[in-house]
Amino acid sequence: MFGIPRSYLFNRFVTFLLTVWIAATLIWIIPRLSPVDPAEVMLGRMASGGAFVEGSEQILQSLRERFGLNDPLVIQYFKYMWAVVTFDFGVSVASFPTPVWTLIAQALPWTLGLMILSLIITFIIGNALGAFMVWERTPRPWKVVIPSLMIFTSIPPILSGLLLMYIFSVKLRWFPLTGSYGLTVTPGWNWDFIASVLTHGFLPALSIVVVTFGFWTLGMRGLMISVQGEDYVNLAKAKGLKPRYILYKYMVRNAILPQVTAFALKIGLLVSGQILVERIFSYNGMGKLLYDAILDQDFAVIQGVSFIIILMTALSVLIVDMLYPLIDPRIRHQAEAA
Amino acid sequence: MAEVSAQTQAPEGEAKGRFNRFDNPWLNPKLLWGIGILLGIVLLGLIGRMLWNTELVFTGSTPLRLPPVGFENLRGQPGEAAFPLGTDGAGRDLLALLIIGAPNTLMIGAVASLIGMTTGIILGFSAGFIGGRTDDVIRILSDVMITIPPLLILVVFQSVYGDVSLLLMAFLIAGFMWQSPTRLIRAQVLSMRESGYVKMAQLSGASTAHIMFREMLPNLIPYLFGSFIANVTTAIVTAVGLEVLGLGPQRIPTLGRVIYDAINSGALIQNLWWWWGLPTALLAVMFIALLLINLGLDEISNPRLRKI
Amino acid sequence: MPVLQLTDICIDFPTTKGVVHAVSKLNLTIEPGRRVGFIGESGSGKTTTALSVMRMLAGSGHVSSGTIRLGADETDVLALSDEEMRKTRLKRVSYIPQGAMNSLNPIMRIEHQLWDAIIAHEGKVARDELKRRSDEALESVGLSGHTGRLYPHELSGGMKQRVCIALGVILRPELIIADEPTSALDVVTQRQVMQTLKDVQSGIGSALILIGHDMGLMAQSVDELAVLKNGELVEIGSVRQIIEDPQHPYTQQLISSVPLVGGESFLDDTVGAPPIKRSDSGHPLMEFQGVRKDYGDVTAVHPMSFKLDGEKPKIISIVGQSGSGKSTMGGIMLGFTPPSQGKVMFEGQDVYRMGPSATLEFRKNVQAVFQDPYACFNPFYRVNHALKFPYKRFGLAESDAQVEAKMAEACEAVGLDPAIVLHRFPHELSGGQRQRLIVARALMLSPKLLIADEPVSMVDASLRATILKNIYDLKDRYGISILYITHDLATAYHVSDYVIVLFHGRVAEAGPPKQVIGDPQHPYTRMLIDAIPWPDLKRPWGADPAEDARRMEEVRGHTETIFRGEVPGFELSTGGEMRMAAE
Repeated sequence: MFGIPRSYLFNRFVTFLLTVWIAATLIWIIPRLSPVDPAEVMLGRMASGGAFVEGSEQILQSLRERFGLNDPLVIQYFKYMWAVVTFDFGVSVASFPTPVWTLIAQALPWTLGLMILSLIITFIIGNALGAFMVWERTPRPWKVVIPSLMIFTSIPPILSGLLLMYIFSVKLRWFPLTGSYGLTVTPGWNWDFIASVLTHGFLPALSIVVVTFGFWTLGMRGLMISVQGEDYVNLAKAKGLKPRYILYKYMVRNAILPQVTAFALKIGLLVSGQILVERIFSYNGMGKLLYDAILDQDFAVIQGVSFIIILMTALSVLIVDMLYPLIDPRIRHQAEAA
Repeated sequence: MAEVSAQTQAPEGEAKGRFNRFDNPWLNPKLLWGIGILLGIVLLGLIGRMLWNTELVFTGSTPLRLPPVGFENLRGQPGEAAFPLGTDGAGRDLLALLIIGAPNTLMIGAVASLIGMTTGIILGFSAGFIGGRTDDVIRILSDVMITIPPLLILVVFQSVYGDVSLLLMAFLIAGFMWQSPTRLIRAQVLSMRESGYVKMAQLSGASTAHIMFREMLPNLIPYLFGSFIANVTTAIVTAVGLEVLGLGPQRIPTLGRVIYDAINSGALIQNLWWWWGLPTALLAVMFIALLLINLGLDEISNPRLRKI
Repeated sequence: MPVLQLTDICIDFPTTKGVVHAVSKLNLTIEPGRRVGFIGESGSGKTTTALSVMRMLAGSGHVSSGTIRLGADETDVLALSDEEMRKTRLKRVSYIPQGAMNSLNPIMRIEHQLWDAIIAHEGKVARDELKRRSDEALESVGLSGHTGRLYPHELSGGMKQRVCIALGVILRPELIIADEPTSALDVVTQRQVMQTLKDVQSGIGSALILIGHDMGLMAQSVDELAVLKNGELVEIGSVRQIIEDPQHPYTQQLISSVPLVGGESFLDDTVGAPPIKRSDSGHPLMEFQGVRKDYGDVTAVHPMSFKLDGEKPKIISIVGQSGSGKSTMGGIMLGFTPPSQGKVMFEGQDVYRMGPSATLEFRKNVQAVFQDPYACFNPFYRVNHALKFPYKRFGLAESDAQVEAKMAEACEAVGLDPAIVLHRFPHELSGGQRQRLIVARALMLSPKLLIADEPVSMVDASLRATILKNIYDLKDRYGISILYITHDLATAYHVSDYVIVLFHGRVAEAGPPKQVIGDPQHPYTRMLIDAIPWPDLKRPWGADPAEDARRMEEVRGHTETIFRGEVPGFELSTGGEMRMAAE
């Protein structure tokens, strides 16, 4: 495939499977570590929380089945694994008897859309700023402005979300407060709906972008500084190449490579941050679904949502890993040598 | 030495400049500011406990929804000096909540990061030194675990077990804080193992323990500190995230818990800005301090960054 | 009309401690088509001067006074705008860098890196035309057009250097500046690349500035020579004039410091105190029993056996190019690299099967000096840590005062002032000082055997003789046997009692230096010696690719070791019963 060696693809794929398997296993083991019957505990808490308890025997039974209290552990485990592979997470307790997968399928596109959009914007803005911080021809004012933007760098998106929501939705009323589209529009391919989706999505996306670009900027700055000292950049200058061309083709193109790898290390945290932002903006995505499930003690949904988000994360890492050799020819070589 | 060469002079001049300017690279202004702010927050907690009535963190111990001194709430009530930062919707004093909550939040971060760090040092050195199968297992495990978002596994855990103590929360988060130090230390150990000074130490009959702790570890200090601080940030973000989802310790005030209550009671729409705004601001200050420390440490371990 | 006129050039580097005058009042004229060498040690201002012509000085450096005029139209380089300067680079003055290893963009194909240079100066050019010109340039430096499709990591060091040369001549500039273009290459490749450079340069008729520190290479490559020291031009003239009748004492020193095979020794031959008898075990000091080392499918060291007794201290040289397996042998002897086959014995004990106390004893008696003096000190500690720690560890220390006194004594023995160097951090010392400290460390520990792996290859040429002298003294005065691992046949000729020439892990030729290096019999040894540039104008040095290829064939066909006589106390054999087992 594109001259990428099989061993590389194979390794990446195995890592992906391992990630998904370990995550699924953790989700399975955790409830079992408890000395008491988790089904009973959960039912008890549901009752005390005043949640839906009618037909408790039935729920208890369904919970028992999920936790498979009658089968031997190994059988339970394989049953569970099969369920996971077929995306069968059982039935939601709160919106009984909707299958968990149906709920997830409704929420997933929103989260994916928001995630892809904000990740890409953040990556581009962050790296561009990092590159301009180091480039010797960047205009002076920019060199002062960019570092001061770093003040946002490490604030988690929930905090920026709260702040932006307060300023733009509560005080200025420029943007709608919550939800992912207006109540008055009908979902479909019409302008009203699309405009509504965009205005509703803007603030959540902004609150992610505004605080996470700094991670890429700082990383890019360090990488650009070391690339700047490389012999090939010096020779590019001696070749009489145009400064912008050197910036892009010689410096950024090389400095960006470790950033792409860093993507894999960071994506887990970025996704967590987004889940929380969705919860604050009551965005109809996985974050809200998860939050509601926590409120309702709807364990099947919690389990399903967590697994799907981890699967999404692992998939994004896999995609990045697969694309990486296309931007770095050395990978093809190394993998051949290995 | 009037006429010295440019080539040898440039690096030496730089090195000497570094030592002249602050004698000690650890006296980095960013680092000192960051540490200063964090110490300030810890002191707020310590001194606050002595000077302020911390009983006010209990529900119903104060009037409801009073604004900070000098402001009025929507019902036209002015702030009272007895509750200088205002009160929340359940009748708790915000100042008391911050005094108790802020150190709790920092503590979770520090403990989780410390445990993660220690695990990372042990695993990283084992992987780098023992090599072979051990290395493979540790490497693959940390590669895999680093992509799993900690928040979600913790959500699953806490939704099953309900209330947790502060310390248990820190332990749980620590389960996701060892991967990046492990990777970092492993990579450094592998490169240092080939370095001249480690070979020299081997030639000098040094024991493995000596090589690890006396030759390698000191050179890792800036990286370890950097990784530690980055992990404190991540741990706090994760803890606050859990708290904002309504999980985490239920009976002990933390900053995240205060924000959770505020959002849940519609504090944003009711314009009770101090309720969510003050803990948010305090968290932001905390994160900025951590960022400053990290930037400072970056400059210490990579002198080239200082020029910009 | 000259190609380049430098008039009263001064170059300053402002630093926090004040202005450093890197070059002062330098005058120089270069005629078209001439090859001019800039020679001097690092920091003499040779590179700085050359880079000022391209206005590419590092950091804060700038030309503070004087003029630089380029070409027949006498362009005032210092008065050009940035854009005009950009267009001058490569088009009129090209630069061939020192570190060709990292001088090519790792993510671009070679031909794209030639094309972007053409486009930057000539605007849009048709793709066919670009391809034709890049292929032509690559062929002119002896590379096939197919090389253009490759990425830099797919090329060898010599090939990368050739690509850089192709780049330097692709726009037919008036002046080429080549900054130590062969310093990273081994002697055989160096000769070929140098020949290529001279051929293409005379082919397009441009002038050449060759920067370097190797008087031999200069003598063989340039027409005129400029000698620089501390930013001043101390002597300039035709190469013949300078080699045959150097005027300035520094030039004389530069010429005499080049070790010659068969020439006068740079060592002081007055014998010191009689060597102390060190070995008393009755076993050989170091012994290889059919040692072989494989890395995957590659055999780094083919089976070989030797016995070195410690009766009388000796220096055994292991000579070879990079990849010959010489450093692997060093690692095996030091107990760092377990052999794939065979045994390594130290005083009758297997080095790789020692208990803790025997290992400590082994470490105490077998020490090393490595190539890179920068890496050998832990940056966390002051340099005396490297001396003090092993001394205490080996139980040699009696008291702190005694350790201090011992360290001071060792420093003085290698010509360092202990009060100045011992309490500094490694980055505060020069490479030469550090390497001497490592020698002092060896002296202080007084092992029975010292492995010196390329001890002077990263040290300035003028210091090499001194450090080798220090090492030689270890044998003479302190009775330490030495295994000297090097690529430099000339120094091996002078210091050693026995020489082993390695080629691809096999012993090509072995025996006393007078025979092996003075009168080589193996085609490989001959090729190596022919490739060494010497400051001797009568000696033919240029390379003919066809001739080289034929000789390489001959070398490959000749896998048998040629033994050239013996010295008492050292026995060497190759293959033997172990080879039977392996093949």
